[in-house]
Amino acid sequence: MSAPRPAAGILPAAIAVFRRELLAEWRTRVAVNSLFLFAFAVLVLVAYAVGPTRLSPEDRPTVNAVLLWIVLFFSAMTGLSRTFVHEEDAGTAAALRLSAPPSGVLLGKLLANVALLGAVTVFIVPLFVVLMGFEIMDPPLFVLLLLLGTFGLASASTFTAALVSKASAKGALFAVLAIPLLLPPLVGAVLATRVAATEADFSAGTDFVRLLVAYDGVVTTAAFLLFDAVWRE
Amino acid sequence: MRLVAENLSRSFGRRAFGPVSFSVEAGRVLGVAGENGSGKTTLLKTLAGLIRPSGGRARIFFEGEDAGDGCEPRDVPWRIGWAAPDLALYGELTAEENMIFFERVRGLVPTPGRARALLEGVGLPPDSHSKKPLSSLSTGQRQRVKLAFATLHEPDLLFLDEPGANLDEAGRSIVQKVVAEQRLRGITVIASNDPRDLALADERVTLS
Amino acid sequence: MQAVKSLGFLLKALLGIGMAAICWGAFLYARPAQSFVGESSRIVFFHVPMAWVSTLAFFIAAWHSAVYLKKRRIESDDAAAGAARLGFVFCVLATVTGSIFARVMWNSYWNWDPRETSIVLLLLVYGAYLGLRGALDDPERRATLSAAYALVAVVTVPFLTFAVPRMYQSLHPDTVINARGKVEMSADIRTVFFSSMVAFMGLFYWMWNLDRRVSRIVRERAA
Repeated sequence: MSAPRPAAGILPAAIAVFRRELLAEWRTRVAVNSLFLFAFAVLVLVAYAVGPTRLSPEDRPTVNAVLLWIVLFFSAMTGLSRTFVHEEDAGTAAALRLSAPPSGVLLGKLLANVALLGAVTVFIVPLFVVLMGFEIMDPPLFVLLLLLGTFGLASASTFTAALVSKASAKGALFAVLAIPLLLPPLVGAVLATRVAATEADFSAGTDFVRLLVAYDGVVTTAAFLLFDAVWRE
Repeated sequence: MRLVAENLSRSFGRRAFGPVSFSVEAGRVLGVAGENGSGKTTLLKTLAGLIRPSGGRARIFFEGEDAGDGCEPRDVPWRIGWAAPDLALYGELTAEENMIFFERVRGLVPTPGRARALLEGVGLPPDSHSKKPLSSLSTGQRQRVKLAFATLHEPDLLFLDEPGANLDEAGRSIVQKVVAEQRLRGITVIASNDPRDLALADERVTLS
Repeated sequence: MQAVKSLGFLLKALLGIGMAAICWGAFLYARPAQSFVGESSRIVFFHVPMAWVSTLAFFIAAWHSAVYLKKRRIESDDAAAGAARLGFVFCVLATVTGSIFARVMWNSYWNWDPRETSIVLLLLVYGAYLGLRGALDDPERRATLSAAYALVAVVTVPFLTFAVPRMYQSLHPDTVINARGKVEMSADIRTVFFSSMVAFMGLFYWMWNLDRRVSRIVRERAA
């Protein structure tokens, strides 16, 4: 009989899951393609239909802030469910469930989704700023909002993906479940982005930064607490 | 070590199997027979801790520890190995990368030769396990990789669902070898309709 | 057993009489409040209790979801699902009555007032929760996953109250207990209003119990 072994550590498992996600993504490029192409297509549509010139200067910060977060939100909705949905569809979930500690799985997949959405954000935001003539008065606040908002989006989406991966009609359900969870931080992020576009004073946005930090913390904690029940039912 | 099921049952709205009761000792092989739809696969998943039982319970008693009430399968995943037709490994990775991944998530330190030796042990030629992605292998070859996956961490309990499916004669002898090795390590449970698979078992439970 | 049955009957009778009395009180006894257009203030006797019950039902559903994940008894899932189903109905009614009031008072059915925004979010959460339940066949899986969703929703949804009030000035009348911490209602309105709150909670409790019993019977029939 083999010697008793302790359960695997969360961090090594998370790193292994994260690396495997990226490697598989590198080989198939399914999520990357759908995310980037979707984000780009929507951006082109928005830039063509709305553009920088058709907005009056006083409308510009509000409309641009809303459009930017809509592009990011729906990009997240197209690509981020894949981590768990593909795992269930391909039948690999059981092998992973049996082998890896649940928190390690969630952490690895969360990091992979953060990386994926982060890459899309880095790609799409400069294009958006240029194509839409979106002037930012307070770039540090803007970058901080993007970081916090992207993390919140990825966190809530990853957990929702774990839920919908076990249901029928996954694609439709994913957005339906994610929107109520993400509406509060998105409303906050939109309002704060407008602040970043109009005021150079960083302190004008601190309330929203605190809101987003608190949201990210709460939703991530809740996801980790509930994930074991969802993953192993 | 002992695996005990007490009035174990599972239903998905309607009954999937059970209630069944049995007890298996270390070194023994239990065969689970029963026609299609009798719940063999569900029973094995329940014993492996992948599914919660609806009624009754499954307990594993290890020597020296938890002697009182034993422990539930889902609490000791590192002691359990499982291979089944509805198990799939990552198709984008090679067989070797799969093995190394599962070693890593289990907290084992991957040694270069170990995964390769294991895959050669189940009769996979080197070029098919280190170069081709798993999705390009044949069904029988993938079945062999599953056997390697199930025994990767030298589990105390090994659950094999239809182990001989899609295998040629050479493959079947590998199943025999895996079961013989598991006898030295602990308990084996085989679910199958194939008399050749069930012939490996010492005891038998039939589901209806 | 007989005593319990007659007590139940008594309570049901009391609830029926109470609801009838509130309809009478709302339209015939209470006088219209000042500073409201015409008779529009009478809607407070129905709109506010419905909004309150739908919020309460959300927390009841979350509570029973937590109990389900802890104890894994399917009855807790019945309780959570029942509270959510009724909460959804009350939430729709509160939205509709609120919208009618907004039309009379502010000449527009919908203004994205903070309160209107929050109730839409509550509607979305209820819709999502019930949609998730509908997409899951296995009862235990349905119970587990919907419980997890209800619990994530209950911790994320309140963030809207931090995000939204900065958006606009609210047009909504003062809450029942206003900023000065006092109930500013005339005695007749106050009597009917608080009776209505109690009666609507009683109505919710009665319907919720019925729903749980129906769920149990359906499950036993299926087994």
